[in-house]
Amino acid sequence: MKRIASLVSAAVVVTAALMVLLCLDDTTLRDHSHTGRDAVTQSVVSASSESNPDTPSAPEQASSVPSRHAVLIRRPEGPPLIELAAADPQGRSGKVACSTCHSVRKPNFQTRSAAALDEFHQGLTFNHGTLTCYACHNPDHSDALRLADGSKVEYRDVMTLCSQCHAAQATSFQHGAHGGMNGFWDLSRGPQRKNNCIDCHDPHEPRFPKMVVGFKPRDRFSEAGKEHDDHE
Amino acid sequence: MTTTNDSSPTGDGSQVDGSQGDRSLPVLQHSSRRTAVKGAFATLGAAAFVAAVSPLRQAAKQTTAAEFMQTHYKRLTDEDKRQVIERLEAEVKQEHGVDVDIADDRPIPGTKFVYAINLSVCNGNGKCVEACHKENNHDRATNQSYIRVLEMPKGTMDMEHGNTTYSGVVPKDDKFYLPVQCQQCDEPPCVDVCPVKATWKEEDGIVVVDYNWCIGCRYCEAACPYHARRFNWKQAEVPADEINPDQSYLSNRLRPVGVVEKCTYCLHRTRRGKLPACLEACPTGARVFGNILDPDSNIRWILENKRVYILKEELGTKPAFFYYFD
Amino acid sequence: MSSTTALPTSEDQRSDDSHLLSYPRFLKRILWLATEGSFGFYAWMTLLTALSLVGLNAWANQVAGGMIGTNMTDHVSWGLYIANFTFCVGLAAGGVMMVIPAYLYDDEDMHKVVIVGETVAIAAIVMCTLSVVVDLGRPDRFWHLIPGLGEFNWPVSMLTWDVIVLNGYLLINLHVVGYLLYMRYLGRKPNPSWYIPFVFLSIFWAISIHTVTAFLYCGLGGRPFWNTALLAPRFLASAFVSGPAFIILVMRVMRVTAGYTAPVGPARTLIQIIRVAMVVNLVMLASEIFTLFYTGGAHVSAAKYLFFGAHGHSGLVPWMWSSIVLNLLGTFLFFLPSAMQRSTVRIVACLCCIVGIWIEKGMGLIIPGFIPSTLHEIVEYSPSLIEWKVTVGIWAFGLLVLTVLMKLVISVFGGQVSPKEPTATT
Repeated sequence: MKRIASLVSAAVVVTAALMVLLCLDDTTLRDHSHTGRDAVTQSVVSASSESNPDTPSAPEQASSVPSRHAVLIRRPEGPPLIELAAADPQGRSGKVACSTCHSVRKPNFQTRSAAALDEFHQGLTFNHGTLTCYACHNPDHSDALRLADGSKVEYRDVMTLCSQCHAAQATSFQHGAHGGMNGFWDLSRGPQRKNNCIDCHDPHEPRFPKMVVGFKPRDRFSEAGKEHDDHE
Repeated sequence: MTTTNDSSPTGDGSQVDGSQGDRSLPVLQHSSRRTAVKGAFATLGAAAFVAAVSPLRQAAKQTTAAEFMQTHYKRLTDEDKRQVIERLEAEVKQEHGVDVDIADDRPIPGTKFVYAINLSVCNGNGKCVEACHKENNHDRATNQSYIRVLEMPKGTMDMEHGNTTYSGVVPKDDKFYLPVQCQQCDEPPCVDVCPVKATWKEEDGIVVVDYNWCIGCRYCEAACPYHARRFNWKQAEVPADEINPDQSYLSNRLRPVGVVEKCTYCLHRTRRGKLPACLEACPTGARVFGNILDPDSNIRWILENKRVYILKEELGTKPAFFYYFD
Repeated sequence: MSSTTALPTSEDQRSDDSHLLSYPRFLKRILWLATEGSFGFYAWMTLLTALSLVGLNAWANQVAGGMIGTNMTDHVSWGLYIANFTFCVGLAAGGVMMVIPAYLYDDEDMHKVVIVGETVAIAAIVMCTLSVVVDLGRPDRFWHLIPGLGEFNWPVSMLTWDVIVLNGYLLINLHVVGYLLYMRYLGRKPNPSWYIPFVFLSIFWAISIHTVTAFLYCGLGGRPFWNTALLAPRFLASAFVSGPAFIILVMRVMRVTAGYTAPVGPARTLIQIIRVAMVVNLVMLASEIFTLFYTGGAHVSAAKYLFFGAHGHSGLVPWMWSSIVLNLLGTFLFFLPSAMQRSTVRIVACLCCIVGIWIEKGMGLIIPGFIPSTLHEIVEYSPSLIEWKVTVGIWAFGLLVLTVLMKLVISVFGGQVSPKEPTATT
């Protein structure tokens, strides 16, 4: 619409210029320029009276806050449980809590990778900066985590822990600019469900995993392009 | 002179015509014979004409009178719309044996939809492409979708260096990924060029197509700088059990052949408050959607706090679609 | 065809009944006469009818089976049809170029020439309209384009402008041709006030149809290859070549087959026009090429693909170079002195320029606008059999219309028909 308005005004300018060139009589000149101005006004009016996406009416639902649904952030079930590889001497098998072993073992504050361990956790890939295990795991409460100031934080609140270092991501997350979500954008109509940090990032190796492209369009006549993939 | 000159167009008639072709005033007898020849020619021609257009009869069967006479969406009364939708639902039931629910979702007052994609995060896995394909009842054989993803070398924004046919493991270390779909422009060139107003921008910013009004000239496809529009070169084929029954008239209902379609920001979802299908499918959380008129919305925060890139901004199309970076 | 409303119904002193009755009778009479002719004529007409029907059948199949029968895609969404349309608009516009020298000379005999130009224009417009109709995905919804009945997106959509100017041009030319023939048939001198204004209108209108058609493409910011202000002038320049060249060919055919001769003056002027226009056209093409390649950047990718191929694709390269060779050769031939005579050189030059411009306007302009696509993907295009059949059918039908119109012109100007002898036989 704006395009038309500018076209019309351009046409008016050109017409006016032509009038100046062509008309010798002052009165006719004035008449013509008058019609010109009318045309501009009209086009502006029509442009604004038809659909105008630039200036929509004031938001209404912002005021209707009362029935707002929640933004539900998924949380871990609780502390992790370790699946036993085989039955223990007492013949028990299944899952056990971290504290099962760690309550009777002295913490080594220097450990930075599983390579240094000989009893358990072998093969655990760790690729999360230069952190030590006890930077995040709580030496006093094996079924909880610890913040940098030494205070205890539950596994369910793992995001608090992550946010200590990843404040930028946490801020983005708060504003929907980091992390996946489902449900409703309009909280007056329904809730929104969001992932938490460790849904997507393995805390021991937080880089987002590689994926394999599973779905590609099959266009007519672009088969050749598919075969040699060397599109510079 | 032969007497069987009315039998074939090129055979015997030739001698007659050849012998007297230049005589300006043929005798009456020949004139009447000539009339007979002309009559035979005309009959032959008419028969050939009927034979030539016969495939059209089949095509005509697919178009009901009600569909042919249906007027422009904006001229339909509520009662008209009810009848049209009833007819469309019945047609799907008849053809595919599926009960679908075609709604007529209208814009929510005070909403203006805006989309943003985090290019620092997108890894080009194509889940959004697939989700769009399923959500919008696209043709299965061609893997049609409203989204195309370009694999771009780092260090450029020039799509000339991009590639849409990448495959395998993503993300590649030296690449970033640029998903492109309809930008729901505020100055949409596609809407300007449509000769019959079959496509227009609604109050919430979504550019829609009335599939029952489009004449299929594809001028909009030529005008769109984002390759956002698709034409139904053939009838899309979707297995009955895969048809998404949650439909809307201006959105993902099964489209007729020979018309143009496009991304509608899933208006059959978003106008009911839900997030678009491509966003929900994104495993990286790169996609953000919301109402820019709401000052507390995610999208508003991104535009105010992040570095934003607008695709082909120099064309003046004013997209309601932004790319941002962490 | 019977535009009776455009005829003078007031100032008939000599004829017995009203023009409202006599004009349709005239049309009936000359149309009947148009089906009379030699064996060669019948063979020609049969051939054209057969080809038209082949095209019609191909189109019917395209409608029934969907546009998938064409080789167009979402990447190259316009193809041979719109390419041909663009050329035919030029032909129609250029057809009227015959009119300009005719009125500059202000000669009575010139009506013979004017009529040929205007009839070529009519046939070309018919081809334009058909080319657009066959390109529609939903021809059954054609009525959506009719103002009043449908929704006419005027003045925003350039396509609606095109609909208006093309139909207007058709009406103007039908009126001028019909009026001049009718007056000749009545044996009366045409009243200048009934056709001179329309002739001049048609000259301006001819420029408008090609300008509007160029605006159709060059207004699209998303297609850098088309998005140049030089497009409309280039269209005009090439139309001033292809139109007159086509008329020269038609005049030659009429002279050989029916002995319909026109004075040599306007033909010479036409050649002068072609010489100038072709040079201008080539200069503008060169200027376009310079700007594209010297600047480089995003705008050059389509041109690179067109002229040299890109990313291992080179489907349009042979087309474009043959166009350039034909155009240069045609221009060279037109500059030979023998082109001024009724010579083979002139005919070959005309053919070279017509084919050269057909490619330049179509495969060399419309198609590269889509390659690479707006996302810089390269999907190539070459027309399918259906597209070729339909296009040949359109040309055959256009020539059919042209032949019938020429027959009318020849029979009226040859004095074979007049209102005095009702049966035209002894």
